[in-house]
Amino acid sequence: MIRYIVRHINLMLFTLFALSVASFALAYLFPADPLVNLSGVQRLSEEEFNLLSEKYAMNESIIIQYLQYMSLLFQGDWGISFSSGLPLGDEIKRSLPASIELSAYSLVISMLVGVPLGFFAGLRHNKHTDYVLLGVSVAGYSVPVFWLALLLIMLFALQLPLFPLSGRISLLFDIPYSTGFILPDIWLSDINNKTAATINAIEHMILPTLAISVVNTAIVLRLTRSAVLDVMGSDFVQAAYSRGLTVSQVIFRHGIRNVLLRILPLLALQTSTLLTNAMIVEVIFSWPGIGNWLLQAIYQRDFPAIRAGMLAVSAFVVIVTVLIDLFARLIDPTQGAPRRGSL
Amino acid sequence: MARFNLYQEEFHPSPLKRTWIEFRQSHAALFGLWLFLFFILLMVLGPLLAPYDPLTQDINALLLPPAWDANGGINHLFGTDSLGRDLLSRLIYGCRVTLGISILLVFVAMLVGVAMGALAGMTKGVRSSIINHLLDSIMVIPTLLIAIIIVAILGTGLVNSMWAITLALIPQFVHTTRDFVRDELQKDYVMASRLDGAGKIYLFFNAVLPNMIEMLVVQGTMALSVAILDISALGFLNLGAQPPSPELGTMLSEGLKVAYISPLSIALPGCAIFLMVLSVNLVGDGLRSALRNRFKH
Repeated sequence: MIRYIVRHINLMLFTLFALSVASFALAYLFPADPLVNLSGVQRLSEEEFNLLSEKYAMNESIIIQYLQYMSLLFQGDWGISFSSGLPLGDEIKRSLPASIELSAYSLVISMLVGVPLGFFAGLRHNKHTDYVLLGVSVAGYSVPVFWLALLLIMLFALQLPLFPLSGRISLLFDIPYSTGFILPDIWLSDINNKTAATINAIEHMILPTLAISVVNTAIVLRLTRSAVLDVMGSDFVQAAYSRGLTVSQVIFRHGIRNVLLRILPLLALQTSTLLTNAMIVEVIFSWPGIGNWLLQAIYQRDFPAIRAGMLAVSAFVVIVTVLIDLFARLIDPTQGAPRRGSL
Repeated sequence: MARFNLYQEEFHPSPLKRTWIEFRQSHAALFGLWLFLFFILLMVLGPLLAPYDPLTQDINALLLPPAWDANGGINHLFGTDSLGRDLLSRLIYGCRVTLGISILLVFVAMLVGVAMGALAGMTKGVRSSIINHLLDSIMVIPTLLIAIIIVAILGTGLVNSMWAITLALIPQFVHTTRDFVRDELQKDYVMASRLDGAGKIYLFFNAVLPNMIEMLVVQGTMALSVAILDISALGFLNLGAQPPSPELGTMLSEGLKVAYISPLSIALPGCAIFLMVLSVNLVGDGLRSALRNRFKH
């Protein structure tokens, strides 16, 4: 077990190291001066240039430069953005939680819908319900998420004006920043009409969350279904039946627990799909998240922002994936080597 | 009329035939196959089928409604867009561009990925461990993020986004190839071949690779659906193909400007992408379950 944990932590550290090297290399790969790309300060005067060269150790060897870059990263100095002139660390701290919030809610929704439906399909294997659910799920994960988002906007924001078109909360509400997540922020704030603000925020959230959830629900459904088929066909379930347990007893005592254990590590692999979809949907709904921010950075050729954003997003995905995998292993050490998910 | 069997005829279909028999059982998979063949046909015969040039603008026919509308004409079946270009022709060329490029990308990624995966699977020790760790780390990063970074370095454009997506697709192939090669090398027939004195290269090409083709096809369909979605997503985000070119994602983002007047200009490209991905996924699904059933017998 300890060996396993060490291996995973090792993998995570190695990956993070590779990512940090990649982000450092980006400063040299982007078409501007490396120092400008690292610091984000454009049009330097002579003294400023010398000062920054010293700060980033530009006159030393490349390894010293990298170490210097890393120590600045850990101090929270990520450079500043070309377009806004604000420190990148703060900008990411504001936009990443917005994306995480969106992804987390759609993950919850897709678990709540996908797991029961997957159970249903798996238990009625090769019957009509199974085929129908399977067909719907294939359609669900074939939908291009940006098109789905547009259709939702056309239907529920323009044709029937049920939900707001874009943004995170109405401009009437001024929510002070504390955690970066909108709902906790509203509850922590001391504005006087909290209920109205909460309802407004949820209304803004429904369409983007729905757009992301459709694809994810389809994937969760399929993962659950194949896990159910696996578990219900295994020896211990047969043994339980032979001891005279009824179907529902078998499902509730043995089925659910084992199926959930099986899909947990596979869900970890879905983190990146989830976040990618969230990033695309953000652009369409003008949700102030990391995807929207990163794309704006590309349109404006804001190289320091791309470098920092890439590092933040991929580090986040790596850490979450490894932690979920590790958690799954801790609660069920009997599982073999992590299997790749098959839909 | 029931026919009785005089002779106990033995029927031993080849593995390929058996897969086809299993595949045929599923209506959804067959539907997907027909749909996919339709798109392939559209891709090959596109220039012959399209009534107009996809780039020719006609100022006299701006934003014409489709043929079934009271004001529409039969000259333009799906109407025209805001620059007077025929939507049907653009759609046909769009399918051609998107599907054609995606298939090309998957082939390139498959070649490179299989080569690297074979290398990782056949070697042992530190070298293999380094390759594996590197791959595991790349697998975790979202493909779209890799694509965005590469586009940021190289600049926007269709060719750059093609590079980006190919690079992003490679790790999956490496991963599956590596796992497959490792499993396969443990098996007896490989051992037999090795005892006969076969070298590593011979082993890979003559023992492992023929058994891997089916898995590669299944993996290829998965990669194809990802490639179609990614290339149109990059087009939609203005990072891939640039506006005049008839790429489905780009058409979608262009249609956004006139979505109120002609909803069809965003409905059609999106629908085409959806059907394309759906057909690929149905075929891939059908193939996978056909193979699974075949092994069960």
